[in-house]
Amino acid sequence: MSASIQGGAAAATEGVDVAAARRPGSIRHVALREPTAIAGLAIITFFVLVAILSPILVTGDPKEKVGPIFGPPSASYPLGLDGGGANMVELLIAGTRVSLLVGFCAALVSAFIGGTVGVLAGFYGGKTDVVLMRTTDYFLVIPDIPLMIVAAALFGRSLTNIIIIIGVIYWTTTARLIRAQVLSVRERVYVKRARALGAGNGRLIFKHILPQVAPLLVANTVLLVAYAIFAETFISFLGLGDPSVISWGRLIENAFNDDAILNNAWWAIIPPGLCVTLVVLGATLFGQSLEDALNPRLRVGHLSVRRFKVRPLRGKLDSE
Amino acid sequence: MTTPLLALEDLNVWFELPGGGELHAVRGVSFELEAGERFGLVGESGCGKTTAMLSIMGLLPPNATIAGEVRLDGENILARGEETVSPHRWNDIAMVFQGAMNAFNPVQTVGSQIEEPMHLHDVAEGKLARRQAEELLERVGIPKDRANRFPHEFSGGMRQRAAIAMALACEPKILLADEPTTALDVMVQAQILELLVSLAADFNLALILVTHDLPVVAQVCDRAAVMYAGEVAESASIDALFHRPKHPYTRLLFAATPDLRAGGERVASIPGAPPRLDKPIVGCPFQPRCDSAFAPCATETPLLKKVGEQHVAACHLNDHVREPATA
Amino acid sequence: MRGFDYVGKRVLFAALTVFVAITLNFVLFRTLSGDAVSALRCRQCTQAFKEYQREQLGLDKSKWEQYQLYLEDLAHGNLGKSLRSEQPVGHELWPPLKNTVAMVALGTFFSIVFGVLVGVVCAWRRGTWADKGGLWSGLAFYSMPPQWLGLLMVLFVAGWFGLPTAGIKDPTLGILGDASWWEVFVDRLRHMILPALTLGLVLYGEYALVVRSAMLETLGEDYVLTARAKGLSNWRTVRTHGLRNALLPIVTLVALSLGFIIGGSITIEYVFSYPGIGLEVVEAIDQRDYPILQGAFLLLTLAVIGANLLADLLYFKLDPRVSG
Repeated sequence: MSASIQGGAAAATEGVDVAAARRPGSIRHVALREPTAIAGLAIITFFVLVAILSPILVTGDPKEKVGPIFGPPSASYPLGLDGGGANMVELLIAGTRVSLLVGFCAALVSAFIGGTVGVLAGFYGGKTDVVLMRTTDYFLVIPDIPLMIVAAALFGRSLTNIIIIIGVIYWTTTARLIRAQVLSVRERVYVKRARALGAGNGRLIFKHILPQVAPLLVANTVLLVAYAIFAETFISFLGLGDPSVISWGRLIENAFNDDAILNNAWWAIIPPGLCVTLVVLGATLFGQSLEDALNPRLRVGHLSVRRFKVRPLRGKLDSE
Repeated sequence: MTTPLLALEDLNVWFELPGGGELHAVRGVSFELEAGERFGLVGESGCGKTTAMLSIMGLLPPNATIAGEVRLDGENILARGEETVSPHRWNDIAMVFQGAMNAFNPVQTVGSQIEEPMHLHDVAEGKLARRQAEELLERVGIPKDRANRFPHEFSGGMRQRAAIAMALACEPKILLADEPTTALDVMVQAQILELLVSLAADFNLALILVTHDLPVVAQVCDRAAVMYAGEVAESASIDALFHRPKHPYTRLLFAATPDLRAGGERVASIPGAPPRLDKPIVGCPFQPRCDSAFAPCATETPLLKKVGEQHVAACHLNDHVREPATA
Repeated sequence: MRGFDYVGKRVLFAALTVFVAITLNFVLFRTLSGDAVSALRCRQCTQAFKEYQREQLGLDKSKWEQYQLYLEDLAHGNLGKSLRSEQPVGHELWPPLKNTVAMVALGTFFSIVFGVLVGVVCAWRRGTWADKGGLWSGLAFYSMPPQWLGLLMVLFVAGWFGLPTAGIKDPTLGILGDASWWEVFVDRLRHMILPALTLGLVLYGEYALVVRSAMLETLGEDYVLTARAKGLSNWRTVRTHGLRNALLPIVTLVALSLGFIIGGSITIEYVFSYPGIGLEVVEAIDQRDYPILQGAFLLLTLAVIGANLLADLLYFKLDPRVSG
């Protein structure tokens, strides 16, 4: 995934109020006024709630067979039954918890690594910067998904490992972003002043630079969640996920392996993928509008199909 | 009375704002331009002068609404918007933009971009166009072998000259120059201005020079209009504006310009800021900052009145003058 | 030669990255994988066979010696032998590689075509429903897991068009007399279309967005205003001034997406049982065939590095402003 798709999310949430964007301190104000950003947030909140409430919503073992294999949707089982005869709704709810957990944790790992690398590279500059950035460059070149798959195959299939693997692979764009931000913050007057007053490096980093960098990091982390959930589906689909837990990726894999297609069991195939799509979409929209709110960019287009409008001359213009 | 080459009558421009509401950027601007005349349009940033310029060529974005007339040789070219104004672009009226450094497409040669309007308006083709483009470049002081170079290979001043050459490609009658010398260093500024003056003379071009820089206007123009908050505050010959201003804004503006030749004067500036244009303005727009405001200024809008030969001003201080202007 | 040092720098960087990739490859597979051979699962893998393999792979030597051997082998183009089939890795990987390249090329072609069309229309009709619709659909497809989209394709599209959903060949072709070159070609194509289409749909969103942004940015430039002032119609301005400038980023983007393309194609190949390199990787993982895995991974990494270099050089050629 790359930065350009985020630009698209930005485009979809266009129309930021110009005046509001220029007012300092109204970042949340701007982001939360955008209908698509709110929609994104709503989607994420919905799924988070489901995840949190899942122990209550699902009693007993969701994998338990409650009917015929690939039983079609009915009143008592609105999303039908999967290849093992288990209730799809319960499976989905249980899967929400795992998928979101993996997503958030992996994103945190990435954010932590990326943020640290970015801050250190940006703050210390010089050799540290060069070394860290070269490493980042090399990491960038290695195709992420094969690496992830191979690492998953090699290091075992527990949930923790998956989280770590995903986290370790996606930190690079965060590092670059944070580094750029740190570089610009570092040159600001109040930082120089604090340094002149004798503040040590640690103090400078924690009190002055981090607060400026944190919002961007948060926004980026939301986007990382999207990547991570996506990545988890890849791993699970190829049978490399943790066999003891249910995740959305696993549900898709199950459907595939159990020949859901031959049985025309669309209800086993569509819902888990739809959930992934929705969450990824929501996180991307929301995260992108946050990032944009922190970096408002305004564009004027000189071309459009529509033209300027002409009003008929109204005699003397009134009441001035 | 002969028809002026260009006449703006009661030009108004509104912009729709993203959050709703309108910005009334140009509020009833009128002036006239004769062939071969050099006219200045002066004012602070945001006073609407650039918008007024763009309106003359109909280069406004879709969220703009125009009212009023722009008459070229008597014909209102804004009558049906884009349809009536576009045939005149570059043929009759051409423009050199603010920051003309970026007027050139970076991935095409400068020469080809000068030739482009020639092809478009059937002025010249092929080799003839090439030759004319090279001649134009030489006329503005650029060696003609540079025609095959890319814009980034030119210095700022040279690019500005090339932009001027490009503007002349179809031999227009009027040249609009928006802040042609901003962002250039002083030596280059003087050269560009001299170039504009000599071109105007050689090609019998009418020139409208938009700027916030008074010495520039003084050097190049015969007449000027001073704009404030989307309106014309005063319009007269340069001499009159400098020595006999009839609007406090004009007076303060010219006083605020440090005159390097007269030593030791304090630099005056006008305190305060221009009014917001997204709300209706009551009374005279300059009143809050005016040092001569009195009773009627806060409530009654002053109208443009003739206060001398070819000299109009919109200020209540001139109310005693008995001849009102007839637009 | 213009920009010789720019080209030189890029090539050097690519070479260094290749070296790092090779080493990383080694480290990943040999050092950290533990005892690969003992995990071998195949019918003829007796203990003696496993011992033999260990010797063959040099796993009985020290890590450093292994590394040197590895580099030597690589220099001779020797990627080792598959644990399953005893065939040279390069030999085993060549046909799947061709299959994947063909499918990915077709998919990338789809995505560029969709992407440019949608992107230009969006920028052209900025702010209208066409714009928003284009953006949303691009985003939506991009958020879908490729394997899921593949499954949907199989479920809904394949039947509609009578397209095959597995493999790359129709097994009945050629049985009753020789199949002509054309018939074989069409057969391959029919098998490639669904996976390529899936890939194309997942990717186009990103390109559309880039084209749109680049287009909008270009359209906001002064030279576009100048073009309009010169009297060019909207369409001509877009064509002569907007499009070329806006298309520059696509070049780099395609190259940079290669990482994702490769990853995405792995799962797509799995869904469609398409015998490409992705499927090889999956099977090799399943059967712990580490030499194959190592070879495949190396190839993929080299492909990405190569693509990045190509993108750099192409961009350099297309944009006269870049001169190092």
